[in-house]
Amino acid sequence: MNDPISVLTLFLFNIVLVNIPLLYGTVGEIVVEKSGSLDLGVEGTMAVGAMFGYLAGCMTNSLLLGLLVAFLTAGLCGLLFSVLTVTFQANQNVTGLTITTFGLGLYFFTGKGMGADWPAMTSAPALVQGFAALEIPLLSRIPVLGKVFFSQNGLVYLGIAVAALVWWYLSYTKTGLRLRAVGENPGAADSVGVNILLYKYLHIITGSGIMGLGGFYMALNMSGSFEGSNCWINGYGWIAIALVIFANWNPLLAVLGTLVFGFFNTLQIYSGALAGAFPGALGWLNAVPPHLFKALPFLITAIVLIASSVRKREGSGQPAALGLNYFREER
Amino acid sequence: MKNRQPLFHVVKRENASLGRQAAAYFAAVVLALAVGAVLLAVQGVEPLTFYRQMFTMGIPGSRYPWRAVENFIRLFVPLLIVSLALALAFKMRFWNIGGEGQFIMGAFWAAVAGMQLGESLPKPLMLLVMALCGALGGGLYGVFVAALKVKWGTNETLLTLMLNYIALYFLQFFAETKGEWNFFLDPESARPRFARFPDSAQMMTIPIGPFNLNLSLVVALVLCILIFIYLSYTKRGYEIAVVGDSPNTARYAGMRVGRIVIRTIFLSAALIGMAGAFHVSSAGVMSASPTNDVGWTGIVVAWLAKLNTAGIVVASLLITVLQYGCQTASTTYPAIDSNFASLLQGVILFIVLAADFFTRFRLAVRTGKEGTK
Repeated sequence: MNDPISVLTLFLFNIVLVNIPLLYGTVGEIVVEKSGSLDLGVEGTMAVGAMFGYLAGCMTNSLLLGLLVAFLTAGLCGLLFSVLTVTFQANQNVTGLTITTFGLGLYFFTGKGMGADWPAMTSAPALVQGFAALEIPLLSRIPVLGKVFFSQNGLVYLGIAVAALVWWYLSYTKTGLRLRAVGENPGAADSVGVNILLYKYLHIITGSGIMGLGGFYMALNMSGSFEGSNCWINGYGWIAIALVIFANWNPLLAVLGTLVFGFFNTLQIYSGALAGAFPGALGWLNAVPPHLFKALPFLITAIVLIASSVRKREGSGQPAALGLNYFREER
Repeated sequence: MKNRQPLFHVVKRENASLGRQAAAYFAAVVLALAVGAVLLAVQGVEPLTFYRQMFTMGIPGSRYPWRAVENFIRLFVPLLIVSLALALAFKMRFWNIGGEGQFIMGAFWAAVAGMQLGESLPKPLMLLVMALCGALGGGLYGVFVAALKVKWGTNETLLTLMLNYIALYFLQFFAETKGEWNFFLDPESARPRFARFPDSAQMMTIPIGPFNLNLSLVVALVLCILIFIYLSYTKRGYEIAVVGDSPNTARYAGMRVGRIVIRTIFLSAALIGMAGAFHVSSAGVMSASPTNDVGWTGIVVAWLAKLNTAGIVVASLLITVLQYGCQTASTTYPAIDSNFASLLQGVILFIVLAADFFTRFRLAVRTGKEGTK
């Protein structure tokens, strides 16, 4: 294990393994935000998906059912958000934050309520197997890169596939184009006959569902061990909101952004090991406080936000009507 | 031509009666408690006994009932001040969700003052210095965003959100890094641990019999009155209302909108920072996560109270009862997590948000006489 190359490989491997939930959360939030709604409930939505997806997957010993329930329960959070903000015109910031408060409350309430009945992940071999590495023939034999990118579990590939699919959907399909119109200028979209209500509901629910898949992933990555003090999601939902900005509302850039944010996120854990493996080149890592690495994603995003506002949002993918409710009679 | 008007359509309501609103809110709380009761029953807990313990907060039958009240006040004061402050910002439609960060920065700079000067200043002066340092620390952390928003239109919601985490990890760096220079930590302890503040940096209490009244409660209530007066009876308070209603109207009337926004956000963030200062000096020791989520809960409270000063007092009392009550009640029920309070809080707010719709809008039923427009 002290061989420098294997330390480096393990570090890079973990960047992908540990941070893919960020990608799910980010892609989900991009879908939601493209409809013009800013949902600050990512953290809570992921927590709900994680809890119920894990429980369902464990109890039925089925990966697919776990994914489905995670998607649906998180989708319910999205439905709640849509009913309140789209139909009832409630403030989006407040509603989103309440979803987070509520979701985390429900997460802890359910988890703690299970008490001694809490199912261990080992009791569901299907989940263990589903989260085991899936080696892609040939490609996985490439040194270093093979391990990092082609020996991951199936849900990693699924996450990247979802990101690619959403990118294609937003860029090349008619409904994707209409969705972007809803986010940019709902009044104009409405006047050409786009059903604003339907588009918003559908995409907020779907986007939330995708976030839930990320939550489910985190549950498996934590081997399903519930702690009363720390939520599995552990702030990833908030990083995902930052990542949406960093990725400029582009799902493909979100893949790249996940790796960049993931790099810092994982570096704080591996900085000691890396400094030990490469004392000459990376010895300085020991001197950097891990808190800096934790803060960096937020710091970078803050700078991106400020810089893009100075440049008057030129080339920014931020939907123009983001965060504004659409009330037809005020069109 | 066929009449294609839908059966219902939504119309803005001009005036909502106060009684109607109060009734809606009361119903929201009752409904949320009912939802909670079902969940408790599912977990095999008798809801009524749990609620009784929650609402009495374990005070009756306790050997130190005053201690419970003192702890309650320690939770209540930061929430009250932060909610008041956030309401100021929300009135201008400035979505300051950076209460957490501003609170941390306030606590941090107050702690710097407390640790560095605590030995040399008398208590009242020391507490004043700490409050000012906290206000300045929080205020500058918030006003920086307001300035960017005014100058370049930077999205304040997302930026303040980012600043929360930057502040959190900034503080955690000091909490977890041992070093000669780090005057926050206890030099006696091998593991990094915050040292207690010197005596003069600890919050003053007014002894009333066995009960020690936390001075910050008095300050917080005075602040409530001052802010109420500021908003209702001063020119500056009026400007806030105008800018919040319509920045264009304000501009047309010759108000300098940018300056008003910056001034108000500084005031708002400074109050939050001051709450942070009060909190750490009441605790007597710094903490790596001092906020107790008050920056988030404050948003809930401000919204529940419709940004109304008197309403904020009531709503923050209610939320503190939920939080502190759940905390004490959950000690006797191992199956119930103290986060049950957040769950209830969430349900209350969901119902209120939905009910708000019916106070702001009304459903107009198709009469058939309107014809096709």
